[in-house]
Amino acid sequence: MTNNINIKGYRLLAALLIIVAGIGCKKYVPQERETVGYDSRFTQEVYEPILGRTTIFSNNFFRGSSTNPSSFKLINPRRRNGDEARELLDTFPVKVWKQAYTGEEKTLAEIEAKRVIQYRPLFELNEHSGEFIMWAEGKSAFMRTLPDSAYLFDVEYSNNGGRRYFRNLKLMPYKERPYEPSNYNVLTGMSLTENIGASRIFLIQGAKTGRSLGYNDIEVYIRKNESLGLTGNTLTFKFLDTLYKPMDPALFADTDWPNLLHGFNMIKTNTSVTYSVAYPIPLTKLPTKYTNTEGTRANVNFGYSRLGFAGITMKASFGLSFAIYEPGSWEIVFAFVNENPKFKND
Amino acid sequence: MKKMFHLTAFVLLCVMTFTQVYGQQKITVSGKVTDGSSKEPKAGVTVQTGKPLRGIGTTDEDGIFSVSVAVGEELVFTHSGYNDVKKRITAADAGRAMNITISLKDASLDEVVVQGFRSTKKAIATGSSTVISGRQVQDVPASNVISLLQGKVAGLNIQNNTGSPGAMGTINLRGLSSIKISGDGMLTPTSPLFIIDGVPIDVNSGFEYGFQSGGVGVNPLALIPPEDVEQFDVLRDAAATSQYGSRGAYGVILITTRRGKSKVPRVQYVTNMFLNVPPPLREVIGGKDERMTRIRTILENDTSLANAYARINSSLALSDSLNPYYNNSTNWQAYSFRSTINHQHNISVLGGDDKFNYKTNLNYYDEQGIMVNTGFKRYSLNMNALYSPTNAFRMQVTLNGSLGMRNNGDGIGLIQPGNAKNANNSSIMPPPSLFSENNSALASVSVQNNNKTVNISSSFDVQYELVKGLRLSNLLTFNFNTGTTNSFTPSYLNNDISKSLNQSDRSSTLFNRSILNYAKNIGDHEFNAYVFNEVQSVDAKTNIISLRQTAGDQIQGPIGYNSLLSAGGILDNLRQTRIHGYGGSVAYNYDRKYIVELNYRLDGTSINGPNRPYSENPAVSAKWNFGFEDFMSEIPWLSSGGLRASWGKNITPTGSIYDVHGRYQVGLPYNNNPTVTINQNVVPNENYLPETKTESNLALEFGLFNNRLDATIETYYRSIDNQVLGINLANITGFTKYNTNDVSLVNYGLELTTRFRITKDMNKPFQWTVNFTGELRRDVLTRLPDGLRQIETTIKEYRDGRLLPGTSAIHKIGKNAISNLLYHTSGVYNSTSDVPVNLATGIRQQLGAGTGFYFQGGDPKWTDINGDYIIDYNDMQPIGNPIPRMTGGVYSQMSYKNFRLDVQVAYTLLRDIMNIPLSDMLTAYTNPFSFSAMLPIDNYKYWKPSATDKSVGQGGAIYANPFDYRRAGTLNPFRVDQTLFLEDGSYWKINTVTLAYNFGKNLLQKLHMTSARVTLSAYNVYTFSNYSGPDPELVTALGRDYSGGYPKARSYSIGLNVQF
Repeated sequence: MTNNINIKGYRLLAALLIIVAGIGCKKYVPQERETVGYDSRFTQEVYEPILGRTTIFSNNFFRGSSTNPSSFKLINPRRRNGDEARELLDTFPVKVWKQAYTGEEKTLAEIEAKRVIQYRPLFELNEHSGEFIMWAEGKSAFMRTLPDSAYLFDVEYSNNGGRRYFRNLKLMPYKERPYEPSNYNVLTGMSLTENIGASRIFLIQGAKTGRSLGYNDIEVYIRKNESLGLTGNTLTFKFLDTLYKPMDPALFADTDWPNLLHGFNMIKTNTSVTYSVAYPIPLTKLPTKYTNTEGTRANVNFGYSRLGFAGITMKASFGLSFAIYEPGSWEIVFAFVNENPKFKND
Repeated sequence: MKKMFHLTAFVLLCVMTFTQVYGQQKITVSGKVTDGSSKEPKAGVTVQTGKPLRGIGTTDEDGIFSVSVAVGEELVFTHSGYNDVKKRITAADAGRAMNITISLKDASLDEVVVQGFRSTKKAIATGSSTVISGRQVQDVPASNVISLLQGKVAGLNIQNNTGSPGAMGTINLRGLSSIKISGDGMLTPTSPLFIIDGVPIDVNSGFEYGFQSGGVGVNPLALIPPEDVEQFDVLRDAAATSQYGSRGAYGVILITTRRGKSKVPRVQYVTNMFLNVPPPLREVIGGKDERMTRIRTILENDTSLANAYARINSSLALSDSLNPYYNNSTNWQAYSFRSTINHQHNISVLGGDDKFNYKTNLNYYDEQGIMVNTGFKRYSLNMNALYSPTNAFRMQVTLNGSLGMRNNGDGIGLIQPGNAKNANNSSIMPPPSLFSENNSALASVSVQNNNKTVNISSSFDVQYELVKGLRLSNLLTFNFNTGTTNSFTPSYLNNDISKSLNQSDRSSTLFNRSILNYAKNIGDHEFNAYVFNEVQSVDAKTNIISLRQTAGDQIQGPIGYNSLLSAGGILDNLRQTRIHGYGGSVAYNYDRKYIVELNYRLDGTSINGPNRPYSENPAVSAKWNFGFEDFMSEIPWLSSGGLRASWGKNITPTGSIYDVHGRYQVGLPYNNNPTVTINQNVVPNENYLPETKTESNLALEFGLFNNRLDATIETYYRSIDNQVLGINLANITGFTKYNTNDVSLVNYGLELTTRFRITKDMNKPFQWTVNFTGELRRDVLTRLPDGLRQIETTIKEYRDGRLLPGTSAIHKIGKNAISNLLYHTSGVYNSTSDVPVNLATGIRQQLGAGTGFYFQGGDPKWTDINGDYIIDYNDMQPIGNPIPRMTGGVYSQMSYKNFRLDVQVAYTLLRDIMNIPLSDMLTAYTNPFSFSAMLPIDNYKYWKPSATDKSVGQGGAIYANPFDYRRAGTLNPFRVDQTLFLEDGSYWKINTVTLAYNFGKNLLQKLHMTSARVTLSAYNVYTFSNYSGPDPELVTALGRDYSGGYPKARSYSIGLNVQF
């Protein structure tokens, strides 16, 4: 009997203990979750990339009271008339970087080994940051471009606290401008002039008049020239005199030919200099010894020295800051149209 | 004549025999009362008899009593804290010496606890409270008696996070109560309300001066002499604190001082001498080693060798090693720290009985801080008297006066920036002198900074029983606090501009409460009801005068100062608040088995919004003492048991009247007339509410095996609502900020209090009792204004004692109410090729958008949460919980004959703290031109380049490359706000060890003493922790270990306690 009661007593105590502890352990509080804030929004709603180059639109989303981590999803890309835009849904082979480009690569193969082909949508949304990437492989041949009003799309923004839709964001790409500085009309994609000018001219005197040559005196042509018969991706520099006859590159003796640009296998003839290169030029927006200080354009400089009046050394030079986005055999031609440079000493 | 005498004697004898026979005759009985545990004679034991009991005598200092009593009557020997002993008198007792042994009460059910405004037996208390006897905090000298309660009360989290004498650590009852972080980067203190002999003391105010320092630096609790404390009552739940509703939201701690209870006046003298020893100081790289480390860093990491040489040569401290000014190896820490010998004395005179008693207590305490130029002194005189000529009338007066003097050096409260900066100086620099310009070092020893606080508190309590059961009582208390600060910085320390700062503040609290109480017993039914009203008025004001360029370092005024640089006036912390409350309570109790209590009060405060002037604070509680049920008597091992539950509300006013009504200010003159304009910083909130706590509590109390094991398991859920948070307004409103009441947080948890008597027999010489307390708690943020689910507050950081805008705390609904906003560090990039590369651009991950700063080998690997290859604010995540989730302690009391050994251990578990000293230590290497102390870091696995390639490391590194000083300025690889420095802050600390010896009776008699005791004790003995920094307890309430803190001393004391 006593035993029995003892057991009952234990049971009572145990039951009470479980009740007290159990109530203490139960949760009566809201769950921890992320938030989608009412004030979050895209600060850029119209995206106008230039086709043919990889463009990143960053810093385009105001997080507001939303919390990280959260996800973005591009949905329902469509043309203005409501038709589905297959070209934005399909994946295309694009070249992505696997390892960092440093500007110190020793061979073309070393550069190419850092890039691989992956299949990705041409207009890609970074899943967690809301950045847009327009890959270089998007071409006006199969995409709507300005002046067409092009595409609309929506973005689903979500995390475990909810979701929001940002509707009718606009993608209105410009046609390709395969090189910079560009002489193309941004809307039609047609070149407006035949040539562009040099970026820098220093102390070049005309052979005929002795005047300092200016920007009107050098015409620069950036063009694809398959007729050269070169294989692979190359870049050729040519210099023409007033009669459009090739000049010997050796005349520009101060030029640092091996380090002119990040190219390899230099072939220097008496009419041209050709490099095997990797496109685009510059490869990334990274300041290297081949680029301008921002890393947006490749810098090439050609120079020579002569003794000027009163025996002063004149270090003459001219150069171009440029970018080429399309692979192929390109040539850049500098034509001294009005007067040839003076190489003789005074 | 002789015959006559014989006759009388015979007659008397006959009469006596007659009375004896018929039981009417009184006999004289005498004897001795001894204490069951100490075997010492027990003085002051009341001998009572009759029904109702009336006192007929007390024992003297030898425990001897002699009373006359009728045969057949029962004698009852009572003494507070002891079990009553009953003895029926028989004729045989006449003339025989009786030996009575009384023993300490062990059943905690009979402890007297205070709940609401009345004292009651623990068995019938429906609220949650814990009693700690004053004896538990005596014998160990500490400037602040509250610091010794650490780990003794379940749910009371005390972190003694400053060793500054006279200051206070943080106290929180049942968890975090506020998420508000003040401008100086500290969590707003939410200490419980302290009530000392009826006088409310608010220790949370006065923090507007900053740096966790109340008032001018002396914490009001540091003015309490520990020897004078009779007991602490910690009231936890809403039912227990219901009647302190107007300010009891954070809990209430009642401190009762001793009163006389022995007819023979007793004089007691207690003294302690104690040695305070600073903690082990840091190892520092000194002199030549430091110089060579710096030079090597520059040579190996600069852009070119030529540039490195140029930079070294332009820094004289590095290159000019033969210059005596730089040719030093100064031990800076020795200038800041010291060991000190301190003492305290306490004399008390107590006496009286139930009708009239009195006490006078004199206390002197002197502690020199372990940091130079700091210290604390306390003088106090406490008196009380009680007069109760009849049962119907009772009057009690308390008068406490104390003076606290504190020397802060050039520090303030919690932090000691001067000394911290000082200890962090480079060893190359010359020691402090008038000519060496190390001003902070010199300042910390030669700035005069004296703080004086005078506190006078008095209470007058009178009770009168109008008719049987109906009692009218009134309590009037007044507490006055005044403090002055005088600080003088001589001109040679401050670019020829001497600074004199004089500050005086005063604050007073007037409090009155009237109660009409009615008690009625009908059989086993007990009723008790009361109504009350109370008013409270608080006034505070601070005047300050700051004079610059005084006439000289000896002449500090009154004329000759630079009036353009000097200022003075009343500080803007001026406040006047009023609170008035009305309420009542009804309690019903049936045979001590079923108890129900209802409370209600209505509080109006002057800082409620005019639309919401009153707060209603109801409370309901009930208890079922199943231990008293009949069926329980058949369960022999269960000696007692009770189940109680409560629900209720309390408030605590926060904010100021300006939040409610706005503020006028003096504007620019208009047409040469002065103007008064509206301050457009904060828009008034007419609906402003005090902070409200709603708490539910459920508890199970039981005693097992004849009360050898007592346990209370308690669970609670409390919500702190209406917390203030300012939200920014759109600028079109004309105002900047709006203070809302829309923050809520919830604490819920489980508390355990147990007492286990390990020795079975109470009469054996060896006795051992172990108490264990613990709590497991969670704090969750449940509401934010404006529909937000997450907000952020910036916490300012201290580096070398400087205040810097720093890292952020984040408050997220559903998560612990405060967490750190951190970068997640997952190691170090061993080589540059390990750094992730942006697919689209081919560029390595960078720090900040568009900075062009790319990560490389040896840099910390911070997780890129949003995958944009940019490490920035968007990649920070709320991580960690700086608020401890488990606190408690173990208290062991052992006694053997005249020896007693008490050991107390406190623990804090489940807490994340930030190891800022380690961050500072590594950061010191990242700038070889900034001369601060360099500590050896060889034990830390930092990144080292391999011999062949500088972009590839040797592997296995945990910390980034500390020597890459050219990039470290931007990268800040050892930034505090990363998980690398977030560590587990759990610790177990042996807090106090006390060995006491009571002298034997024979010796005492020779010395004419009633008792004498010698104690040896050690305080802050040892901390067990996995934390790699200096001390896991010495961190702010936000879990940040600032190197500018005041370390805790380890103290050893020897004490003597004699009683005449």
